[in-house]
Amino acid sequence: MSEAQAEQGASTLNVSRTGAKSQRYRDVLIALIAFTVLASLPMLTSSKFLLDFVIRCSAYGLFATSLNLLVGYTGLTSFGHGMFFGLGAYGYGLVMQKTGVSIPVAFVATLLITLVVATVIGAICVRLKEIYFAFVTLAFQMLIHSTILSWVSLTGGDQGLRGGIPRPAFLGIDLSNHLHLYIFSCALLVIGLLLMRQIAQSPFGYTLRMIRDNAARASFVGIDVYRAKLTIFVLAALFASVGGMIMALFVSGAYPEFAYWTISGEGIFINMLGGVTTFLGPMVGTVLLLILNDTVTRFTEYHGIVLGIVILFFAIGLRKGLMDFAYEWYAQRRDRERG
Amino acid sequence: MLEICGLSKSFGGVKATDDVTLDFADGSLTAVIGPNGAGKSTFFNLITGALRPDAGQILLDGVELAGRSPPEIVRHGIGRAFQVASIFPSLTVQETMLAAVCADQRRASVLHRRFPLPETRDRAEHAMELLGLASKRNRVAATLSHGDQKLLDIALALVLDPKVLLLDEPTAGMGTEERWRMIDKVRELWEKQKITVVFIEHDMDIVFKIAPKIVVLCYGRILASGTPDEIRRNEAVIDAYLGTEHHEAAV
Amino acid sequence: MDLDALTGCLASSACLVTQTTSGLIIGMLLFLVAVGLTLIFGVLKVVNFSHGAFYMFGAYFAMTAYQLTGSFALAMFCGAAGTAVIGLIFERVFMSRVYGADVLMQLLVCYAFVLIFDDVVRMIWGPEFKSMGMPAAFQVMPLFIAGGVVPPYYLLLIGVALAAALILGLGLARTRIGKVIRAAAHNPGMVSALGINTGLIYGGVFALGGMLAGLAGALAAPVRSLTPGMGFSVLIESFIVTVIGGMGSILGALIGALLIGLIRSFGSLGFPLFTEGLMYLFMVIVLVSRPSGLFGKEVA
Repeated sequence: MSEAQAEQGASTLNVSRTGAKSQRYRDVLIALIAFTVLASLPMLTSSKFLLDFVIRCSAYGLFATSLNLLVGYTGLTSFGHGMFFGLGAYGYGLVMQKTGVSIPVAFVATLLITLVVATVIGAICVRLKEIYFAFVTLAFQMLIHSTILSWVSLTGGDQGLRGGIPRPAFLGIDLSNHLHLYIFSCALLVIGLLLMRQIAQSPFGYTLRMIRDNAARASFVGIDVYRAKLTIFVLAALFASVGGMIMALFVSGAYPEFAYWTISGEGIFINMLGGVTTFLGPMVGTVLLLILNDTVTRFTEYHGIVLGIVILFFAIGLRKGLMDFAYEWYAQRRDRERG
Repeated sequence: MLEICGLSKSFGGVKATDDVTLDFADGSLTAVIGPNGAGKSTFFNLITGALRPDAGQILLDGVELAGRSPPEIVRHGIGRAFQVASIFPSLTVQETMLAAVCADQRRASVLHRRFPLPETRDRAEHAMELLGLASKRNRVAATLSHGDQKLLDIALALVLDPKVLLLDEPTAGMGTEERWRMIDKVRELWEKQKITVVFIEHDMDIVFKIAPKIVVLCYGRILASGTPDEIRRNEAVIDAYLGTEHHEAAV
Repeated sequence: MDLDALTGCLASSACLVTQTTSGLIIGMLLFLVAVGLTLIFGVLKVVNFSHGAFYMFGAYFAMTAYQLTGSFALAMFCGAAGTAVIGLIFERVFMSRVYGADVLMQLLVCYAFVLIFDDVVRMIWGPEFKSMGMPAAFQVMPLFIAGGVVPPYYLLLIGVALAAALILGLGLARTRIGKVIRAAAHNPGMVSALGINTGLIYGGVFALGGMLAGLAGALAAPVRSLTPGMGFSVLIESFIVTVIGGMGSILGALIGALLIGLIRSFGSLGFPLFTEGLMYLFMVIVLVSRPSGLFGKEVA
């Protein structure tokens, strides 16, 4: 699993302040362009379906990319990352329904809730290795799911949080307006991706890579492996929670399925589909999975079979994600050109 | 100075390290020898915190290190390299060095800046130069030759500016010629860096030629320690380990 | 929460017997599924995420066989044997391709089959709830033990599961094949060096694991309703069982399964809505205090 060295190939030769800085400017520039393109989409098309699609991509994309921080960058295969997606959706919905605060306050409050819950759960989980880590995270996911189902008075049980979540306007942004909601989701997506990109390319991001490659050696370099794992577990949970909040905003409610294990399974699958060796792989995977889901459900009721065959094609046939494939192809071509 | 006092560790009744008391003077070069299963690697694992000692003290310049975690001990100045090169397969040589310096400067959890940090550059550069890895800086570690991986492992210890460097069989898995090149490198590092070096070695020719001081471990105990000449003449060592061949050769 | 119901039950022998038997049958069914899971993990080092589907196939095969022949014994046989064949094919054709690969790949291949198998069942048997019905032979007066009602079928179920556990344990300990399987679990390289076909062993173990899950499904068919996706909750529960008992340990699977069965049966009285939560909570506690499970080997 080689890191995205294509971009580094040029810059590592010259380890200067300007090298690292220009990388950051480049990322910000790409983010701005992406946001501009997304924001101007409503001017080109009036298709509500397409805009809704982008909103769903924002929610799942943030979730899947944050999972990649664990799986791809740190080597922590979490099978319960979806619990924070659900927590974000429910936390936000409940804060809005019960307290009537403004949307930004509810956002921050939900992030704080996630921070606390993720720290407690993470402190237990990251002590364990490999398959045991996967199972305990899965168990916590199911624990949260069954708590949601059984705490009917708070969460509405299997009916979910109903009655709509209020969307009071703030700072001139009215999220009950579909266009505003669309732009808001895009902005969260772009900012979220930019922040996660920063994490991945920071010194801490390289600490994570060291832990993934060889955790024992990392501790003999002076790294507190436990603390680093816990930190990224919590950070990833925060971004997943933002994904859940977008989802709750979008459907104006929260449902137990948001906290069910299948969300985690889909997240892993998305990462697989897009590939974990590039930063944007999970984003590509998200778009692919959502398109796949939408088209398949339109043509057949047996979409499990179709989806399963696609997974098998990637897992057994390609043995890597689409972006991994593209990246290797690109690297090979570049090498050939250099001779 | 690294002082070991009464260090003991047993696994299910078997004493892997048994009441070991030893001093390593600043700037000394010491070889640790002994038959397989003598407890050499356990001894290193105890000093570096990979294992927790049952009893005993480990003092580095008067600071007690026994029972502390590996990261803490590394920070106090004991670096180590492993018998089987322990590296980060997917990072390049240069990334490995830069990230290690980051960790040493307590910047391993910096989030708001971009890797690599400019202030880590000089030390990383220096370590690569010392080990002769500068020309391979952009190679991914997994693709390096066996010998270069061992060098990278040592560089990973050295880049942290340790006071004491523990090398577990630096020449393991190498041919004769490569062994000598590696051991010359170790000697050169010791002379240039003026640090305390302790290494485990199986090749007696190497040990007696380059180590000013030798420690012989057997069944977890110190059988003998001293200069090569003293060790060569030591009856216990000859009986238990070196055998008559070496004895005759020495005479 | 309804703690009164729980304490009330603990005080009455009739309720105690009823709840314990129901806990035992849950536990025994779970054991059969979990022991296959743990066996496959022990030998192949693969977590069979699609193991719940085998349980489901076992139940559907048994139902169809029973409806066609009217023979309960034949229904059990079809449930177990049919699933064994599926397990063998699944391992040889698909799983064997991802042994060297990342854990993630193995989980994904299994995940794919969870989706595929559920849809296959939906295609063949339809999406609605099905019921096999209690065989005529067991439609007799229930037994009364210390005032508690125990249907005779429950006793058969517990007996069959116990017999399977015994045969399995003795088979692994005493027979040549058992020794080879244990050796393969310990050191796969050595087994192939001895000239034994590891592919055969792997396929065989997968078939055996599948068969046990299928048997569990078949045994459950008369007392549970059948639906596509019925395997998943069983899968999750048997995961909990293996993790609690220790991956790779048969005794651990038995103890873990009984514990979970009793937690479910008594928990449903005291915490009717949080029964599942109790299991997860229990698993978390075990894992935190003993990361390799109650009977698992210490992870070095």
